[in-house]
Amino acid sequence: MNLAWVVPLFPLCSFVLLLWFGRKWKQTSAYVGIAATLLSLLAAFGVLVSRLGGATYEANWTWMKIGDATLTVGVSVTALNAWMLVVVALVSWLVHIYSQGYMAGDERFSTFYAYLGLFTFAMLGLVLSPNLLQAYMFWELVGLGSFLLIGFYFYKEEAKAAAKKAFIMTRIGDVGFLIGVLLLFWQTKSFDYDDIFRAVGNGTLSPGMTTLTAILIFIGAIGKSGQFPLHTWLPDAMEGPTPVSALIHAATMVAAGVYLVAALFPLYEASAAAMMTVAVIGGGTAVFAATIGLVQTDIKRVLAYSTISQLGYMMLALGSGSYVAAIFHLTTHAFFKALLFLAAGSVIHAVHTQNIEEMGGLWRRLPWTAPLFLVGALSISGVPLFAGFFSKDEILAAAWTNGSVGLFWLAVAAALLTSFYMFRLFFLVFAGEARHRHDGAVHEAPMSMTAPMVVLGVLSVAAGYIQTPWFGSFLGEWLTDGAYHHEAAPGWIAVVAASVSLAGILLAWLMYGKRTVPRDWLSARAPYGYELLRRHYYMDDLYRSTVVALVSSISRLLGYVDRYLVEGLVQFVTGTVNAIAAAGSRGQNGQAQTYGLVAAAGLAMLVVIFALTGGDWL
Amino acid sequence: MTFLSLLVFSPLLGIGLLAWVRKTETNMIQWIGTAATVPPLLLSLFAFIQSVRGFPLERLDEAHHWVRLADFPFLTDAAYVIRYELGIDGLSLLFIVLTAVLGTLAAVASLLVNEEKKGYFMWLLALEVGMLGVFAAANFIWFFFFLEVTLVAMFLLVGKWGGFERERAAYSYLLYNGFGSALLLVVIAVLVARTGTANFALLGDMLHHPVAEGQLIAPLTSEARHWLLGGLLLAFAFKLPAVPLHRWLIRVHVEAPPPVVMLHAGVLLKIAAYGMIRFGIGLFPDEFRAFAGVIAALGVVNILYGALLALRQHELKHVLAYSSVSHMGVVLVGLGALNEAGIQGAIFQSIAHGLIAALSFLLVGVLADRWGTTDIRRLGGLAASMPVFSGYLLTAALALLGLPGLAGFVGEFTAFLGLFAKKPILAAVGALGLIFAAAYSLKAVLNVTFGRARGSQPPAGQSEPREAVADLRMNEAVPAFILVALIVAVGVYPQLLAGQLAAALETMMNGLGG
Amino acid sequence: MTLSAYLALSLILFCIGLYGALTKRNTVIVLICIELMLNAVNINFVAFAKYGPHPSVHGHVFALFAIAVAAAEAAVGLAALIAFYRNRKTVRVDEANSLKH
Repeated sequence: MNLAWVVPLFPLCSFVLLLWFGRKWKQTSAYVGIAATLLSLLAAFGVLVSRLGGATYEANWTWMKIGDATLTVGVSVTALNAWMLVVVALVSWLVHIYSQGYMAGDERFSTFYAYLGLFTFAMLGLVLSPNLLQAYMFWELVGLGSFLLIGFYFYKEEAKAAAKKAFIMTRIGDVGFLIGVLLLFWQTKSFDYDDIFRAVGNGTLSPGMTTLTAILIFIGAIGKSGQFPLHTWLPDAMEGPTPVSALIHAATMVAAGVYLVAALFPLYEASAAAMMTVAVIGGGTAVFAATIGLVQTDIKRVLAYSTISQLGYMMLALGSGSYVAAIFHLTTHAFFKALLFLAAGSVIHAVHTQNIEEMGGLWRRLPWTAPLFLVGALSISGVPLFAGFFSKDEILAAAWTNGSVGLFWLAVAAALLTSFYMFRLFFLVFAGEARHRHDGAVHEAPMSMTAPMVVLGVLSVAAGYIQTPWFGSFLGEWLTDGAYHHEAAPGWIAVVAASVSLAGILLAWLMYGKRTVPRDWLSARAPYGYELLRRHYYMDDLYRSTVVALVSSISRLLGYVDRYLVEGLVQFVTGTVNAIAAAGSRGQNGQAQTYGLVAAAGLAMLVVIFALTGGDWL
Repeated sequence: MTFLSLLVFSPLLGIGLLAWVRKTETNMIQWIGTAATVPPLLLSLFAFIQSVRGFPLERLDEAHHWVRLADFPFLTDAAYVIRYELGIDGLSLLFIVLTAVLGTLAAVASLLVNEEKKGYFMWLLALEVGMLGVFAAANFIWFFFFLEVTLVAMFLLVGKWGGFERERAAYSYLLYNGFGSALLLVVIAVLVARTGTANFALLGDMLHHPVAEGQLIAPLTSEARHWLLGGLLLAFAFKLPAVPLHRWLIRVHVEAPPPVVMLHAGVLLKIAAYGMIRFGIGLFPDEFRAFAGVIAALGVVNILYGALLALRQHELKHVLAYSSVSHMGVVLVGLGALNEAGIQGAIFQSIAHGLIAALSFLLVGVLADRWGTTDIRRLGGLAASMPVFSGYLLTAALALLGLPGLAGFVGEFTAFLGLFAKKPILAAVGALGLIFAAAYSLKAVLNVTFGRARGSQPPAGQSEPREAVADLRMNEAVPAFILVALIVAVGVYPQLLAGQLAAALETMMNGLGG
Repeated sequence: MTLSAYLALSLILFCIGLYGALTKRNTVIVLICIELMLNAVNINFVAFAKYGPHPSVHGHVFALFAIAVAAAEAAVGLAALIAFYRNRKTVRVDEANSLKH
């Protein structure tokens, strides 16, 4: 337990070593990365186990002193972050293993592992942060890891644009986060979570300020977790290698927003307005993104919109006051979404395209990938007995017991859409006849890729049983130190959830499996609506024509100000001086006698003045 | 003790030696020129380490009688005596170390300069003497003297070794900075005339404590103090530079040879920040309060103005020049906050930007050397041909946009922390600059390193770009690595520097009355 | 009585010198006129040394100095003039205008 601080250090070492020696080590780099994350994983397990024994640990080191205030960095182990450590380290380790096969032969193989190490370090550091300052620092560093990996294929213009967009969009959120943090500091004189909660508890923090800071910090979470309206970077982030999408843009980093709100939960609980904001943004995003996911044709983009939607679900859970449900869904989502992405990666690896229109009929050709993808799809759709069912059920129950009926039905709608688009994806990719050109070349991925998927497949089922209505709520008790009491939710909610998900699957089967409902059912009836969804509600165009246009026109205006007004002012001053000098130099005619005359006249004038005034003024 | 004199004037030895070397022996000149920057580096590092270990810096003070400006029987013996005085505290030591480090690195990077090396190095070393002296000076007269040395040296370095429009840039530099200097001289003259001393510590005592008011040769009314401080701030606003007095900076950054810009952006701009802190807050704390709001607002204007203009530049040097304007705005924001966090932030921002600007201009110099252009529209995909270079350039961009863990973040964070205590709304507007900073630095750097591989058209008279794919050479990689290491060190453990500042800051805060 | 006579003489001499120096075109004449002005000053020195309120030898000393300096000046001036003549083939003072703006 006292060694909790070493957990993030292994991946950091891996990053530094690979950056330095990676070019020499080439393919061996993978083993360095895998070993480092394995050590982290073991250490994280150690932390979790000793935390189970009730141990706690906190350590702080001085980062900088400002006058009397000491800003610290450190680690503190709580139930929440011990749990997150294991989830992050586990997914990261599996992705490290998977990448060995997926990225094999890439010229910048070692760089890839170095970046993965950097990201894992930052994510673990973020989870372990005992204060908001450190959280902010690692928050930006995970953004850096994400940025580097999205732009990994740097020679692609799309990757360049996507990386830049991801960084800037999340930065917008980060600035909100930073402002919130700085405001909190002057209210509470501390960055520490504990001090802030104390200030919230004893009323040092005024209600207005609580709401303001909570919402500002939530803006950071919106940016990082791809919530509406800052979500547009996440689908574009799929330009990165697929293992990266699995690790960063599905399982861990994007969940950081949820984690942050969860870690600051007492602050949010103190403000009904902030809770409402979180719930509405989350619920809205869940449906919003799911509708876009219905019509996308890029396998990774469908999964990306699904991620946004599921993150919205978690936010909804938090906003409904169910911290446990959010973390539960975060965990199960980490497993099944990572599984889905890795399986998608395996498909892409096999057919070398991401367009689902060019796939199909892969069920037999990918004997490992296809069933595993199915497991993931069943889990995310919330089919009973799979992990997603339990966590989704928990969220629906939370929304219901919280009393917000509208949000509850929003969540149900999102669940229906989710199971529909997931099975649309499944049927288009794996069922039917093959529509791809690379017929002969299609082959199952190597062991290094399938093995991590199998582990995740098992977890996508098993993870649900840590918190069920039947076998007790281990996770809830663990996260709340035993104070958890399961809200008695009406039993019909589980029935609704299950039937909705099955309905979605059935509909998808009818449209894409059995084809009794024509595929162009929607696009034929509502072409504009279809186009609206296909173009992601024109959000990118909206931003381009408003925010971007505004900034660039201000920038252009300032450019003119700079060039003409500021420079012109200076030109005017220098011009005036020059004109005076020119006038003076015209008197300089080179005639010594003229100069003498002027001097004599001046002298005469002085003498006259002297004579008239009597020289008293001297 | 002659430690400080040795530190400040040791590059003169190099100038002396260079005088004996023939112009054509460029290798020899490079070696001597570089070696001459090493003694100040070693001495300043030694002083820094000693100071970290608790050595009292006051013991390094030096004072010798120099000149007496006036001799009236009714004055005390001490009045109008100008002495040769050097002395440092934690604040000036940090800047001296920064100067010495950048001086050596710029000398190494001067391999990129090929013409008239002998004269170039002589002036470069003179510039270093001037910069070291500015920070080591303990009275106004010597401060001004060293400041003018930098002005002259810089003028010649830009005017003779610069790019196409070098003369225009040099005159622009001279005009703005000369004006600032003149204003500064007026303020100094009035202060010395009224108080009879130029020593910072004595001046501070005389101006602060009502008891000592009797020592003043002529009383300084509150109004007069406001005028003096206003003049002082305006003088340094020219040199910082603050919008709208920034146009010279753009020209100098673009035209001056890269190693010179390393020193210019790295150290010379910081003299203004140093001056505002040392003289503005140090001598006129009460009056400074009246200006604080304006300064903070000006800082926010600087941040946004610089960032928005950087966004639309196509020339990498222009981007960096406007980013300097933007970053200096953070210094103003910190000073405008006028609390411990703000001032500390301003100092950190100065140091951090010194390192980051030096790194970026070093890399820009390499780019110009290899491709003959720094236009981001004509470059692209360099990460393939120059991976190490691109890695460093990306690091520089990340440092510029204030990524935590790198030095820039500490300065920005601390400065904004300060302003949030005083003017949260203004600070929130200024914080938007962080978004624009990300936008312009990534736009510029990604266009150069990412994307489709593109090179410029070869410069006129050359069929191929010079050494098309040569990545960083040893003499470029080592300075870049050292700078990155320092940037990371400051970013990860800022207490290393903050510990040195504590005493100086406390004195200042006492002056401000808590 | 005698003092004002000397001063009047000196004033007349000075005015003639000044007039000549400012109006004559021939450089030699201009130089001579400058000598006239210097001599006017010398007369003042000597007159005050003899008849002034505090008669002393200082005035004589200054006059001697001025004569020596005037001689040196004339020598330098004529040398410069000869150099100028060689260059421009003229001694007209209004043609010596190469320091024009």
